[in-house]
Amino acid sequence: MSRVVLRSASRAAVRSPQPRWLYLRASLNPWGALAPRHQDIRSHSTSSTSPRGSSVSASEVSHFTQLASSWWDPHGPSRLLHLMNPLRHDFIKSCVVSSSPSNPSNPSNQPVGTEQEKPKGSYTFLDIGCGGGIFASSAARLPTTRSVTAIDPTPEVIVVANRHKRSDPLLSQPGRLTYLNCAIEDLASHVQPQPQSALGPGANLEKDRLPGEVPQYDFVTLFEVIEHISHPAAFLRTCLSHLRPGGYLIGSTIARHPLSCLTTKIIAEAPWPIGVVPHGTHDWDKYINPAELRQFFAKENVKDFERGRRTGEKEAAESVKVVEGRERLESGDLYAEVRVEGCVYLPGVGWKFVNGSEEYGNYFFGVRKLR
Amino acid sequence: MSSFIASRPSRYICKACRQSLSQGRKRKYGTNSITSNPSDIYDVVTVGGGPVGLALLAAIKSSPSTSHLRCALIETQSLSKQKSWELPPTQYSNRASSITPTNQSFLETIGAWRHLDLRRVQPYDEMQVWDAGNEASIQFDWQAEAVRYNAPQRTVATMTENANLSRALLKRIQELGAEDSLLPSTSVDRIDHGVDDAEGLNMSTWPVLSLKPSGPSESPSTPRQIAARLLVGADGINSPVRTFAGINTNGWDYHRHGVVATLELEPSKDTQSSADVDSALEDFLSDEETPSNSNPQIDKNLMPSNRATAYQRFLPSMGGPIAILPLPNNHASLVWSTTPQIANYLKSLSPSAFVATVNAALRLNQVDIKYMLSLPSTSPSSTDFTKSSSSSSYTHEDELRWRLTQTDPAPTTREPPLVRAVQPNTVASFPLRLRNATSYIVPRIALAGDAAHTIHPLAGQGLNLGLGDATALASTIQYAVEHGMDLGDLGMLEQYGSARYGKAVEMSSGVDALNWMFQLGGSGEGLVGSLIGRARGLGMQVVGSGWIPGLKEIVMRRAD
Repeated sequence: MSRVVLRSASRAAVRSPQPRWLYLRASLNPWGALAPRHQDIRSHSTSSTSPRGSSVSASEVSHFTQLASSWWDPHGPSRLLHLMNPLRHDFIKSCVVSSSPSNPSNPSNQPVGTEQEKPKGSYTFLDIGCGGGIFASSAARLPTTRSVTAIDPTPEVIVVANRHKRSDPLLSQPGRLTYLNCAIEDLASHVQPQPQSALGPGANLEKDRLPGEVPQYDFVTLFEVIEHISHPAAFLRTCLSHLRPGGYLIGSTIARHPLSCLTTKIIAEAPWPIGVVPHGTHDWDKYINPAELRQFFAKENVKDFERGRRTGEKEAAESVKVVEGRERLESGDLYAEVRVEGCVYLPGVGWKFVNGSEEYGNYFFGVRKLR
Repeated sequence: MSSFIASRPSRYICKACRQSLSQGRKRKYGTNSITSNPSDIYDVVTVGGGPVGLALLAAIKSSPSTSHLRCALIETQSLSKQKSWELPPTQYSNRASSITPTNQSFLETIGAWRHLDLRRVQPYDEMQVWDAGNEASIQFDWQAEAVRYNAPQRTVATMTENANLSRALLKRIQELGAEDSLLPSTSVDRIDHGVDDAEGLNMSTWPVLSLKPSGPSESPSTPRQIAARLLVGADGINSPVRTFAGINTNGWDYHRHGVVATLELEPSKDTQSSADVDSALEDFLSDEETPSNSNPQIDKNLMPSNRATAYQRFLPSMGGPIAILPLPNNHASLVWSTTPQIANYLKSLSPSAFVATVNAALRLNQVDIKYMLSLPSTSPSSTDFTKSSSSSSYTHEDELRWRLTQTDPAPTTREPPLVRAVQPNTVASFPLRLRNATSYIVPRIALAGDAAHTIHPLAGQGLNLGLGDATALASTIQYAVEHGMDLGDLGMLEQYGSARYGKAVEMSSGVDALNWMFQLGGSGEGLVGSLIGRARGLGMQVVGSGWIPGLKEIVMRRAD
């Protein structure tokens, strides 16, 4: 099932008659502003109106068309996303560091090479829902990055992203940063097979894409995307299929908690002048909690184990344990432990990691594909 | 007010040079614009090779996460002269600055401090501040206070010649293998924006600098046009980069000049009784025929003593304070803030009359000092070989000797230093100004040092503010590189701008207010002035007395 509703990141600004300063506040909860109502999403997820037969919502496309021109204004509606961007890199670094061999918490089973000392220009990224390219361009500038592929279903934001890329000679280097106007399920048809290095030395020899295989990357990133997905499990599986063994899925979203209901639903959607978005904008039901993400990956591990046992690829000696009522493998997992870190926006201070806040607000998640 | 310190603009360009620089730019500015984007693209281009620009380059190149950045530092003058700068141990440059411990640790972190000639720097941990208007005094003795308030032991600041600092930074840049980043003897002919090439890059937000050699070229292949991801203006008070950025300045002239000179002092009185000091003074004053060229103390104290004292006396009726800042081997740096008339008068004095006047300014009542300043100044050429005894009327030395007997000793806990001689050709003056740029950042441009702010040198914070700029800008650049940000992005530069702007405003307005306060209550300013003068004296006594626990320590900490 690859038909998903994809809503890309950063829906801060809105077609609303409200004054401009409110847009800044709207971007406090950028995932929420003017997303179509719950029922719209449902209908789109079952009967697509997109011209290419993908699952992209037409109203989203039109919404981001409005946003496109102000995307790179550091004081514009996307300001809070600009401010959040450094934390994304901090979180990615913390994921890589915590799974490096020197770290004792690192899973011992690493069939696909080991983490090297930040080899220069070696990492490849796939940024899904890239918008104007705030994260994609910053990832492409890192000395450790070889290439970034960034996709978004809205044509206008891709135009903006490419316009921005043209103003930076570094990003304009051939192959360094590629923006594609497509949904994740169409990616394979947009990307030519290319030799790409990976996290481990063993990965780039045999794993170059064979015909019919999907392109794979060291990092697949989903910033402020997954809370807009009607069928997140299927969407996540599609994303994970683009992850190279040893690679990381990194994302950020918001937890479903009474406090986030208060901030994003009751306050943000209150009548003017308190509220910043029209009533009914948010889809609080669809927010995803860290525990649900953990459960998803635990189930994927079990499925993978059973699949392996069926095909006889795996050692039968590995045991399945029951942890908290769920089956959990002791070793030989496909996915490592999900890493989660909450962050909070403090006016006047900026975004800060706050331990424990992942249960009631914004948080980052990261998981490593071990095989 | 704890901090007074040697002070001068960190990078001084003579007026003629500045005019020619800005005129040249204005003339060509805006004419024949470039039609294609330059192939030479740099990450950080700094205009100005003073201590601030050099420190920024050394900081970028010494950090592992930013050392790969492509940098260029453009300096009109030849840097090889600065690099091979040498003076005999008996001579000191009159451009010296007081480095705060914070900036010292920054210079240590970037690996430049150890390249200083440490025989030529002088840490000090004590300041004597007193006021000729009301004879109040205050002492900042960090060693004593540290014991009393259980504060960490440290120096108040360290005096170093600016040339010593620049040479150390150049040596560090060479050690880092970053000499190819230096573009000396090169001037900025023009600054434009790049062009939007429809088929290629859009460089319309990038500053593009057109360069030309300003002297015999030291590097054979100086590029003609370079584009800057981030352009740093460390190019002084009349910054061409600031003009290009369209940033205005606020501020005013104080109608005051700073008179600087390198002095030779009578050796420290720690080992002498006060009677000895008096006799030394007598000896000095009566022994005019042998200028004290030979200095036997140099061999004894080749390394600077750990205990040194800075002195500052406020002279409200002469327009500002006189400060004596310690240098090694019984030398000191003079900074006397005063009216342009008095500054010109001081510069016209013979060396012996100048020395006598400085000694008078540290000891006599203001009325007596004023009288001495009214004596006819003999031209230097005629006094060099003419004995003062053969001069017609009373000399400055005579006046000082006579008036000292009528004067109470200074209220300081340590005798004011006795100046023995002034080093030839070191008496100079410069106008004091307050300037603050309305902003330190625009997209792809940041200002640092005097280009961003020039403050009254009363507290000697000019170079320290500039080094603070270099610290903040280097760490902002490092953060940006580590997070994939564009170095010229305004959102990234805001970190730097907000960190430094408040600092400079706070410092300059504080110093400015201090200056205002100490100029009032001089003379002829009526009841209000004399009340303020008394209040000031009372304030000094309150801070100095330790009546309010912790207050003095707070004041001392603010000096940092």
